[in-house]
Amino acid sequence: MIGDVIGLSLRQPNHVVPVEVLLGNCDGSRMPLICSENLTPAVAQKIVEVCPTAALELKEYQGQRCLSLSYGRCTGCGRCIDVGGDVVVPAKHMPWRGVAREDITRYWNLDNGREIVGTPPSPAEARGQIHSLLRRALTIRQLDAGSCNGCEVEITALTNPYYDLERFGIHFVASPKHADMLLVTGPVTRNMAEAVQATYEAVPAPKLVVAVGACGCSGGIFRGSYAIVGAVDAVIPVDGYIPGCPPTPAMLLTGILEVLRRCTAK
Amino acid sequence: MTQDAATTSETRNDTSSVSFEIPRTNRGTPARLVTIFGSLGPNGEKGVHYIFDVGDAGYREISLAGDDSLDSIALQAPAAAWSERELHDQYGVKLEGQPDARPLVFHDNWPDGFFPMLGELGEVPWAQRQYHFLQVQGEGVAEVAVGPVHAGIIEPGHFRFSVVGDTILHLELRHFYTHKGTEKLFEGISPLDGTMLAESVSGDNCFAHAVCYCQAVESAHGLDVPSRASALRLIGLELERLVCHISDIGGLCTDVGFGVAAAYATRIKESLLRASAKCCGTRYWRRIAIPGGLRFDFDSAKLAELGAAVASASRDFKEMARLVLETPSIQNRFEAAGILSQEAARDLAVVGPVARASGINLDVRRDHPYAHYGQHRIEVPVTHYGDVMARARIRIAEAEISTRLIGETVTTLTDGGVFTPLTLQGDAQGFAAVESPRGELCYWIEIRRHRITRCHVKSPSFQNWPAMPLAVEGNVIADFPLINKSFNLSYSGCDR
Repeated sequence: MIGDVIGLSLRQPNHVVPVEVLLGNCDGSRMPLICSENLTPAVAQKIVEVCPTAALELKEYQGQRCLSLSYGRCTGCGRCIDVGGDVVVPAKHMPWRGVAREDITRYWNLDNGREIVGTPPSPAEARGQIHSLLRRALTIRQLDAGSCNGCEVEITALTNPYYDLERFGIHFVASPKHADMLLVTGPVTRNMAEAVQATYEAVPAPKLVVAVGACGCSGGIFRGSYAIVGAVDAVIPVDGYIPGCPPTPAMLLTGILEVLRRCTAK
Repeated sequence: MTQDAATTSETRNDTSSVSFEIPRTNRGTPARLVTIFGSLGPNGEKGVHYIFDVGDAGYREISLAGDDSLDSIALQAPAAAWSERELHDQYGVKLEGQPDARPLVFHDNWPDGFFPMLGELGEVPWAQRQYHFLQVQGEGVAEVAVGPVHAGIIEPGHFRFSVVGDTILHLELRHFYTHKGTEKLFEGISPLDGTMLAESVSGDNCFAHAVCYCQAVESAHGLDVPSRASALRLIGLELERLVCHISDIGGLCTDVGFGVAAAYATRIKESLLRASAKCCGTRYWRRIAIPGGLRFDFDSAKLAELGAAVASASRDFKEMARLVLETPSIQNRFEAAGILSQEAARDLAVVGPVARASGINLDVRRDHPYAHYGQHRIEVPVTHYGDVMARARIRIAEAEISTRLIGETVTTLTDGGVFTPLTLQGDAQGFAAVESPRGELCYWIEIRRHRITRCHVKSPSFQNWPAMPLAVEGNVIADFPLINKSFNLSYSGCDR
């Protein structure tokens, strides 16, 4: 009976994960972290060779010979961790700087192992910035542009009693006409291209678009398929990127809050 | 232990009249059609493959030459209808007497005569074609178009209802919005590299896809994986089923507005995902299975913790499910809603929990055991009501069986390696079937000169989608989300 189910539920302990634990956490995402102090050209060569999506590349950047890691392409296959010894380890905290396109790629000088451009914010720093957002409200319309549904199941998890997205004033709406933000997953398929465009147009301005997952950020493993138009930004303008295959609920939440912070600070 | 040797095949190359008798099972009934797909020979000649489940004798493959036209079998075996349409879309194979010859996979912006599986592809021009839905005519008949973008966090697909008042007379599906050309992407890569693509066919069932793909590669190479690896695979497969079924019962509660129970189910589900992440560093067991076994071994203490988490989650779920099904308003909504008759389910060769809820006694784990399943007793719950309640009850019963299988496997797990290196063979063919949470999932793989030349994925969703419209006929349109949820089909798994 209804009363019994409610009683059962009330007897449960509180499962909400505190915001301090959530923000920046990427446990369970299999994303790699480069320990640059151990980086050598030989290891760099080895990990670039095993990367199936060209997330790791050797290239010239700002006139220097670099190892680059594009988290937007990384599907967390773990091969670089398997062959990288103490240079590549699974990340516990999100190892990229933010949600802008340039924030999700990192570069290390091959000769001295030093990182080019800044390093990711420490978890404490990110928390300080994000706490200032907690008075806001945001409505999100999720849009599947052709994903495998891996990202959908993690986005759905945001509303469960552990992550409880509503405590941040954020909730999912059924119509793009009610939305402030489009959360777009998947590579944009040719069959969905028109619907993605129409959905984007239905969202009232000002609007935010966030590309989710390796496929949303870069096309992921579907890059180059005849049935794919491209990543989300090949079809509509994107304000932020959340890497991962799929991103965990903590990574999604951190990314959504960060996009909001950047865009409201403008 | 491997079932793969069970595929007996016959090839006919006489090109005059290409038709054949549908095989029969040892009980004399027509064999269940598993899948139909095309392939290209070394010189570009088209081949068409039919796979049937002939019962105790395993799976039987019939291969025909496909350069000339073939007779459609869709009128004898309606389950062939979508497969034949896909076969034509991919390979341009001509089928005589096809009851429905409209494009299935490619929508209006694809040009006529585009057959992606025939060789290299250049730039494909954008076109403007017209697709015709079936028109239901008569006084008071209205059309309701839903999708491809639905209300909620759901995958895209289009539903065209013909209704009189609230009552659905007819529903036509238009899917393949998430078609990503996955089968083509398999071509040309090393068999060792295909697992990632398989995992992205249907993300919520990624481990079943990964294991099925690996088993197909292993069968092509005649490789047996170590016993510990196949036991760990069993744990992953059953955990995936448990998570999926718990999530489905929660989803059904959401769709009838029973928020407390729905939230309770998501809580149980999340506890299992977090336990997985703690045990093996991934919430959905991605990047664990590889051809030859597993990428790494599991720590036994962590595995015991996972086992305890499963037992506790399962206890909670059982209690919740019992209370939910005792709730009169739930009974009122679930019972007699969305009945799929046994006859329709058999005609369309439906698989998985949906088939078992409509009286079809079918489970790959018992019928064609793979991985570690040969060493366990597999009960197969079956009921004949075929309504939303039946599908819910089947899932609740299966969740309990999965829990038992995980418990048994964790406690009896033996030490040993988890990986046998695979020596690539020049040319090989492999087939594997796995009971995924949604039902029978198959991979058929062909390798030439160490590269995949064809990988066909038959997902249970592709098989079950055509049956869903039959279950909603005569129901009110407001019950459609509930009935759809009770089928729980993957759009991406179907569209690939």
